[in-house]
Amino acid sequence: MTGDVPRGVARVLAVVLPSEHVDPVLGDLADEYASRRSTQPGWRAAAGIWIETFRLCAVFALERARRDRELPPIADTAEPRASLSEAFVRDLAVGARMLSRQRAFMAVALLTLALGIGASTAIFSFVDAVLWRPLPYPAAEDMVALFEQRPREGRLSGLVAPADFVDWREGSRAFTSMAAVSESMLNLTGVGEGQRLPALSVSPGFLDTLALVPDFGRTFRAEEELPGNSHVVLLSNGLWRSHFGADPAVIGRRVLLNAVPYDVVGVLPSSFWWPTKPDVVVPLALDAADRRLRALHAFKVIARRKPGVSLAQASADMAAIGARLSEQYPVEDGAHFPRVASVRETFVGDVGPSLVVLLGAVGFVLLISCANVATLLMARGTARRKELAIRLALGAPHRRIVRQLMTESLLLASLGGACGVAFAWWGVEALRLALPVRYNALPGVAMIALDARILLTALLMTLGTSVLFGLAPAFTAARDAVAAPMNEEGRSGTTGIHANRVRSALVVLEVALSVMLLVTAMLLLASFKKLLDVSPGFEPERLLTMRVTLPQAKYGDHARIVQFYDALLERVRSMPGVDGAGIVTVLPFAGADSRAGFKIEGRDGQSPVPVRANPRLMSENYLSTLGVPLVSGRAISPRDAEGTPAVALINQAAARRFWPGQDAVGSRITFSFDTPSWIEIVGIVGDIKDAALDADSDPAVYLPYRQTAFASQARAMSVVVRTSRSLAAVGPGLRTAVRELDRDQPVGPVRDMPELIGESVAPRRLNLLLVSAFAIMAIVLTGAGLYGVLGYLVAQRTHEIGIRMALGASRGRVLVLVLRHAGAMTVAGLGLGLAGALACARLVSGLLFGISPTDPAVYAGVSVLLIAVALLAAAAPARRASRVDPLTALRG
Amino acid sequence: MTESLALGEFEHVVLLAVLRLGDAAYAVAVRDEIARHTGRRVSRGSVYVTLDRLETKGCLRSRLADPTPERGGRAKRYYALRPRAIEALKENRRTLAAMWRGLDEQLGRV
Repeated sequence: MTGDVPRGVARVLAVVLPSEHVDPVLGDLADEYASRRSTQPGWRAAAGIWIETFRLCAVFALERARRDRELPPIADTAEPRASLSEAFVRDLAVGARMLSRQRAFMAVALLTLALGIGASTAIFSFVDAVLWRPLPYPAAEDMVALFEQRPREGRLSGLVAPADFVDWREGSRAFTSMAAVSESMLNLTGVGEGQRLPALSVSPGFLDTLALVPDFGRTFRAEEELPGNSHVVLLSNGLWRSHFGADPAVIGRRVLLNAVPYDVVGVLPSSFWWPTKPDVVVPLALDAADRRLRALHAFKVIARRKPGVSLAQASADMAAIGARLSEQYPVEDGAHFPRVASVRETFVGDVGPSLVVLLGAVGFVLLISCANVATLLMARGTARRKELAIRLALGAPHRRIVRQLMTESLLLASLGGACGVAFAWWGVEALRLALPVRYNALPGVAMIALDARILLTALLMTLGTSVLFGLAPAFTAARDAVAAPMNEEGRSGTTGIHANRVRSALVVLEVALSVMLLVTAMLLLASFKKLLDVSPGFEPERLLTMRVTLPQAKYGDHARIVQFYDALLERVRSMPGVDGAGIVTVLPFAGADSRAGFKIEGRDGQSPVPVRANPRLMSENYLSTLGVPLVSGRAISPRDAEGTPAVALINQAAARRFWPGQDAVGSRITFSFDTPSWIEIVGIVGDIKDAALDADSDPAVYLPYRQTAFASQARAMSVVVRTSRSLAAVGPGLRTAVRELDRDQPVGPVRDMPELIGESVAPRRLNLLLVSAFAIMAIVLTGAGLYGVLGYLVAQRTHEIGIRMALGASRGRVLVLVLRHAGAMTVAGLGLGLAGALACARLVSGLLFGISPTDPAVYAGVSVLLIAVALLAAAAPARRASRVDPLTALRG
Repeated sequence: MTESLALGEFEHVVLLAVLRLGDAAYAVAVRDEIARHTGRRVSRGSVYVTLDRLETKGCLRSRLADPTPERGGRAKRYYALRPRAIEALKENRRTLAAMWRGLDEQLGRV
C-alpha cells in the first residue's frame, strides 16, 4: 500500500483544508506514513498520522478564524448571501478558537460530557442487546412461550405437564408448530475424553418453531418422539467443529450419550441459540404413560404463531383449550390455565425491569451532565456579553448570535461525544467482565459491542445533548447581550438576572435528579444488605458440591445406583478433613426447578386444588450435612431402604400449606394418581431457600433414594460435603474418589456453596454497583455545578459585595448572603427530588427486598448527604466572598 | 513602490528556509530545514499555513511538481521566493543590523 494514507484521512482533510492544499498535504502525509511504517507497528503509524491530521485541521481552522477576524465585524450582516455550509465552517472555526482559549473550561466540560455520554452509551449497548435486538431466529416476533400458570402466581412460571402439552398441540389452531423442551446434561463418551454437555430434549417441531434448518442432515421426524425410535442426535455447530473436526461425514456416526448409542442425524446452524447453550439436541421421548401424565410439570413449551394470528387471538385459542381441559380433569388441570407470552419475556425474565432501571439511572446522569455544562456555558456566555453586545450593535442579527453559540455547543458536544465513545468502549469491556454467570443465559449478551447501531445512538445522544445544554445559554446570552451596557465593567447589579435565574433553575434540576438517583441507590443498597442477612436455612460455609450423573445403560438397575453412591459416600467420608457427606437430586441455589403434584390420603374430592411440591431424593445424611434441623417426627435412616414401607420428610412450608393446624406426621401422600403407592410422612424439617434468598421457601418433600419412588431420577445426584478444609484441598480428592469407582464416569466441577449463593445474588450486586456508581457521579457533578454557579455569582457580585462591606456589612453577613443562595437552590432541589424519588421508588419497588420504597431513614439519609455536599460546595465561594477587600473591589 | 512588508518572526524564518533550499523547497523540507538550523521542532500545520499566508502576501510563488506513485499519485507543492520577499528580507536584515550596531556593550551588561 505504498503511497497511501490511512482510510478516512483524505475525507477529513478535504472538509477542512482549502482545496488547493489537499493534494500536496496528502502526499506529504503519505510519505510520512510510509516512513513511520518502516519503523513502527501498523496501528501506531496510522494513529500517528491521524493525530497529525487532527492537528493540521486545528491549525488550518485557527488560521481561517484569524483571517476572518481581520475582516470588520460588520461582515456578519454584509455577507447575508454566504452559503449555510460556509457560515457553519466559519462558526466552527470561531468556536474552536474560543474553546481553545479556555482550557480549564474545556477540560471540565469535556470530562462531564464524556462521562455522561460514555456511561449512557455503554449501558445502552447492554440493554439494547438484551431487550431490543431481534432474537437470532427468523421472524422471531411470531415465537411465543406457553406456560401453565396458577392464578396466584404473578410471575412467568409454570412448566407444562406432558399430557397437557400433547392436548395443546393437538387442539390448538393458532400455531404452525409447537414443541416441548426439557433442559438437561448428558455425558458424551466415545469421542475424546468423557464430557458432560448441556443438552436439550425436544419434541419434533422444535426446529420448525425456531424456523431453523440444520446445516447438514435433517431435523427430527414425528415418529422419533416415540420411545425406541428416539436415539438420534443433532450436534451444535460448536461441538461439531471442536470434537468432530467439522467433518460433513459425521452424519450417521454413532456417539454414546449417557452410555446409550445415538446416531448423528444433523448439525445445527451456528446461528442456533438457546439460553442453556446446548451442545446436543435429542428427541423428547414420550411413552404412553407420559402422555397421560398431568401431575408432573416438567416441560418448557414454545410455539410459532400462524401468519396473521395475533398474540390475543393465540391467547384466546389457548384459553378455550385450557377451559376444556380443566373441565375434563378438574383435579390435575383445575387450578392452572395456559398462558401465552412472548418468548423474549421468558428468556429475559426478571432481568428486564432491572435493565430498565439502569437505563433510567444512566439517563439521569446524562441529564445532569447536560445541566452542568449548560451552567458552565452560561457563565461563559455572560463573560462574553460585551463581545456579543458589540456584534449586535454593529448589526449582527439576533439569530446569527444564537447560531454561533449553538455551533460552539455542537463542537463541544462532538468532542465530548468522541471522548464519551472512548469511555464507552472501555465501559463495555469492563461490563462484559463484570457480568454475572447467570446473565450468560440472556439473549444478545454475546453480542454486546459498540457497533454501528450503538455509535449512531451515541451520535444522536451527542446532538441531543448539544441542543439540551446549548439552547438555554445561547438564548439567554443573546437576550442579555441586547440589554448589556457597553461600559468597561458591565457593573450593573441587574444585568443577567434572567441568566442567573436559568442557571439557578438548572442547579435545582441537578440537585433534584441527584436526590432521585441517590434514593434509588440507597434503597437498592439497603435491600442488598437485607438480602445478605437472610439465612438460607442451612450453614453454607465450608460446604462443597459436585454433580455426578450415572448413565442409564450402565446403571439401569436401582440396586447398582445405590451400591455406587454408598461406596462413593463411604470413600468421601473417610477422606481427611471431611466432616460429613450426603447426596441429593436437586441442590439449593443450583438453578434447577421441578415440581410434582401429589394427593393426600383421605382428601379425595375435598381439595379441588392439587398440591405441588419440590420432590427431592436424598441419602439419609444429606439434611444433617447441610445442617437442616429436624423439627418433629424422626429422620430418615439407612433402614428406609427397598422393601420397607415408603417414607418421606416434608419441610415446614409444606406442613403449613397442606396441613394447616394439623400434625402432618403420620399422614400419607402419593405421587401416582391412577394406582396410588402411599408414602408415609415420618418427620418435618426446617425450611431452606431453594432458588434465591429473596424467594419464600417452596413446599418440599424429601424421599430416601434407597426406596424406588422416582428411582430413575436417582442417577443424577449432587454430592454435598461438609469439610474443615479448603476447596482446593478436598476438591481433587472428590474427583479421584469417583474415578476410582468408575474410570469412565465424568464429574461436574467441584464448587462451594457460598459461590453458588453468590451467583444467585450477582445480578443484584451488579445492578447495585452500577446504580451506586451513577449516583456518585451524579452527586459529584451536582456538587461541581453548585460550586461553579456560586463561584461565578461571587465573582460577578464582587463589586456589590465590596460596596456592602464598605458600608459596614460584616464578614458574617456576606457569608450568609452566599450560603442563603446555596441553601435556596438546595432546598428547592431537595423538595423536588424527594417528590420525584417517591415516584422512582415505586418504579423500582419490584427490585426491592425487605425494605419499603418509602423507607424514611433512606430519604432522611439522602437529604443529610445532599445538604452536606451543598455546604461543601458552597464553602469556598462563601469564604472568598467574605474575604473581599472593599478597596480592591471598588477600585477594580 | 517600496511598501514595507510586516513580516512575523516565524514568517521570516520560513522565508529563509525556502531561500536555503532553493529548488527543493516544499513544506516537509522547509520544516526539516528549520529544525536542522534552529533545533526548533515546529508543527507541520503551522508550516503549511505560513507558506500559504506568505503566498497570499505576494512573497512566495508555488508550483505543483509531477505526481509520483510513492505518494499515491499526489504532487508536491514547491515554493520559491518572489523578488518582493528578497527585498523584504534584505530590508529586514539592514534594519536589524542597524539597530544592533553598538549594542554589544549594553547586552553584556543586561
